[in-house]
Amino acid sequence: MNDKAVQIFAETYDRERAVLPGADGWLARRRDAALKSFVEAGLPHRRLEEWKYTDLKQALEKAAFVPAPAHEGAVVLPDMAAASAFAAIDRHVVVFVNGRHRSDLSKAVRLPKGVELHSLTDVLHEQWVKELVERRFDDARQSENVVDLNTALMRDGAALRIRKGVCLDKPLHLLFLAADGGASHTRNLILLEEGAEATIFESHIGVATTFADIVTDIALGDEARLSHVKLQHEGAGAVHLATLRARLAAKSRLSSFALTLGCGVSRTQNFILFAGEGAEAHVNGAYALKAEQHADQFCVIDHAVPGCTSHSLFKGVLDGASVGVFQGKVIVRPHAQKTDGRQMTHALLLSRDAAMNAKPELEIYADDVQCAHGSTIGELSRDAIFFLRSRGIPEVEARQLLVSAFLDEALDLVPHETACEALRLLVAGWFADGEGRA
Amino acid sequence: MAAVRETVKTVGEVEKYKYGFTTDIESDKAPLGLTEETVRFISAKKSEPGWLLEWRLAAFRRWLTMEEPKWAKVSYPPIDFQDAYYYAAPKQSVKLNSLDEVDPKLLETYKKLGIPLTEQKMLAGVAVDAVFDSVSVVTTFKEKLREVGVIFCPMSEAVRDHPELVQKYLGSVVPTSDNFYATLNSAVFSEGSFVYIPEGVRCPMELSTYFRINEKQTGQFERTLIIAEKGSYVSYLEGCTAPQRDENQLHAAVVELVTLDDAEIKYSTVQNWYPGDEDGKGGIYNFVTKRGDCRGANSKISWTQVETGSAITWKYPSCILRGDNSRGEFYSIAISNGRQQVDSGTKMIHLGRNTSSRIVSKGISAGRSSNTYRGLVSVHRKAENVRNFTQCDSLLIGDRCSAHTVPYIETKNPSAVLEHEATTSKISDDQMFYCRQRGIGEEEAVALIVNGFCRDVLQQLPMEFAVEAQKLVGISLEGSVG
Repeated sequence: MNDKAVQIFAETYDRERAVLPGADGWLARRRDAALKSFVEAGLPHRRLEEWKYTDLKQALEKAAFVPAPAHEGAVVLPDMAAASAFAAIDRHVVVFVNGRHRSDLSKAVRLPKGVELHSLTDVLHEQWVKELVERRFDDARQSENVVDLNTALMRDGAALRIRKGVCLDKPLHLLFLAADGGASHTRNLILLEEGAEATIFESHIGVATTFADIVTDIALGDEARLSHVKLQHEGAGAVHLATLRARLAAKSRLSSFALTLGCGVSRTQNFILFAGEGAEAHVNGAYALKAEQHADQFCVIDHAVPGCTSHSLFKGVLDGASVGVFQGKVIVRPHAQKTDGRQMTHALLLSRDAAMNAKPELEIYADDVQCAHGSTIGELSRDAIFFLRSRGIPEVEARQLLVSAFLDEALDLVPHETACEALRLLVAGWFADGEGRA
Repeated sequence: MAAVRETVKTVGEVEKYKYGFTTDIESDKAPLGLTEETVRFISAKKSEPGWLLEWRLAAFRRWLTMEEPKWAKVSYPPIDFQDAYYYAAPKQSVKLNSLDEVDPKLLETYKKLGIPLTEQKMLAGVAVDAVFDSVSVVTTFKEKLREVGVIFCPMSEAVRDHPELVQKYLGSVVPTSDNFYATLNSAVFSEGSFVYIPEGVRCPMELSTYFRINEKQTGQFERTLIIAEKGSYVSYLEGCTAPQRDENQLHAAVVELVTLDDAEIKYSTVQNWYPGDEDGKGGIYNFVTKRGDCRGANSKISWTQVETGSAITWKYPSCILRGDNSRGEFYSIAISNGRQQVDSGTKMIHLGRNTSSRIVSKGISAGRSSNTYRGLVSVHRKAENVRNFTQCDSLLIGDRCSAHTVPYIETKNPSAVLEHEATTSKISDDQMFYCRQRGIGEEEAVALIVNGFCRDVLQQLPMEFAVEAQKLVGISLEGSVG
């Protein structure tokens, strides 16, 4: 237990436990237990199978993150397109700065009846919150251990509950800004009751050296529908660790898409558990990396009941000396017959120094299922570039055309049309920022 | 009712594993357990030179510091390495000159196994080195092979007659420190085959080794080393069986292949160790390290395996593609039934330019078995224009078995083109219906469909083995339907 980072987290906890929200109730005990098990397990390192390609310990030890200070007053948005990516869409906005809710910057008014949107600290006494926070997913222990860190230190987040049959009128945008360096531990809770519907955008923007630790817990009731679009564009020195855990009841549907552009080291974890028959999950993502960036997409889909469908597609472009990682697992439990599971991952290497590691896994205990996975890694086709050049298109442009065509297949799956266009523009900006010089 | 009972009894008596007999032969064993003394005992029994004893002892000392690997998707009670015999040899006092002098009981065993040991098998044109427990019993066709310069002999003989070759290549592909079981093997290996194909020679016949564990409470640790010099070619086959016992026996072999420029080795395995009974009692633990090193340019190593036996199979025949333009292939059929557990696959490590590899793996699980494909394709920074294609298909028969796919794909070079695809499904009702409608019985239909499913791999086997393997596929799946 000599890890510097673990020690700093433990000290932070000792110092702040009295002032962290929920210090007087069930949560205090839960936090104690979570910190204990986190300290016992330590930060994940590459000797753990689920962390084979990403060394969080190393990434954090370089920075040794103490909590980011509370931020007062106006926030100067970094001058980047990502900060205003969803601005054109009519939406509710909830802003967090340095991991703390800022009601003065937020704009979520006239919510439909049956939609309850609060800051996490305001709803800690509610039973559904307790249930979501205490939930554990046991399929991937080594990856879940970092959730304990979040539980122990979580300070704020959004809590959204939508009552039976209610539809959120316009998208809810959760905007996380990192104004100063340091760590922030955020927990978002989303509960959609039977037949409820919502679209949520989540963006993480910053230029500072930060450690963003986010856990988003989702529970979907029967026939509920949730679309979730996440954009991560944090600073080059930042570490991003995001875990999305969703439990899907019968005939519910989750469509999620995550675009990863920023951060020095990022790890995006998805845990999907099917708890009712006939549910559907579409878990997709895209990433474009350059320089020394490292992005890890980790995705576990657990078909615990029969008749569910899961499709996932992750596509990435790697330039500079960047490293891309995809680790996916589709589990089909005994008796989960009629499962349809598909998992695809494709990566393009644009430079000599880029590297890609993929590990798409299938773990199947039922026979009447259709499961497939595929993985490809390669570079741009020289023939295709030649074809375009022979028609007078300059090489740089030809490469961009081909790369964006490659990413488009994934971007097409963004579950909101205008948001899809916004993300496309960001990807186009990524090219303008330097790709193509190889 | 009585008739029904009788039928049940008869059915129960039908021998599913027809190689489950033992041969009653006096044997010469090392003392129970594993200590430095055991290693010295084995070395002394084989009258080995000092350097080999030192090599073994170094491996043994290293082994003591190692931990048993736990990452594979297999489960078994802890193995007591002290409760086994590490050397067992059929007792024989004088050296034998011809087949007639071999213990007739031993020959009887081989006859039951159907190994072409005698002259009549000359038609088959297969040269056999048969390893019985820990020693090689007889090697046929030695003279004929000697004419073209091919050395095909038991490892102990190679140590004696060709020490320079053994010393040069032994442990150069699988070093003594490689992994827990390979290190154990390095310390206590007792026999195995040695093959040397000189420059430019195309080995005139298929070479083959037959492994059999007979003695109870013994482990088998053979070591095979095949060296193909520049421009040579050899096709090598191995087959394995063991008697039916209710204890678990360990088989931890090491196979090393080396190909130099333009050489090719084709290595085929039909593994049918005793798999244990329906309740998972007994059976062989098959923990094997197999690796080929394409050292020279334009060389090729091809692994073909049909895995039907063993309680637990845990092996990854691999290719290190070091030479430019070298090629590695892996074709596998892994069938698990009853409570068998298979965790198998391959590693293709691309180091040289323009290297290519192809992986075709067909896993069939039935009963309550578990069948995992685990494979690595890795491309190093300097390996330009690498090409890999991987296909893993799994077929599930029944709803209590499981099939898993765990591929690792790692590349550090953009010019590599790597493709991986995998599917999992069951036998389609339509296909079954079609067969049944034409009067084909259920089990036969399953065997037929499964054979079709495995066709890509079966085609890679040498002719006479392909026929046997097809039958084996049918036998292995008996009792899996209905």
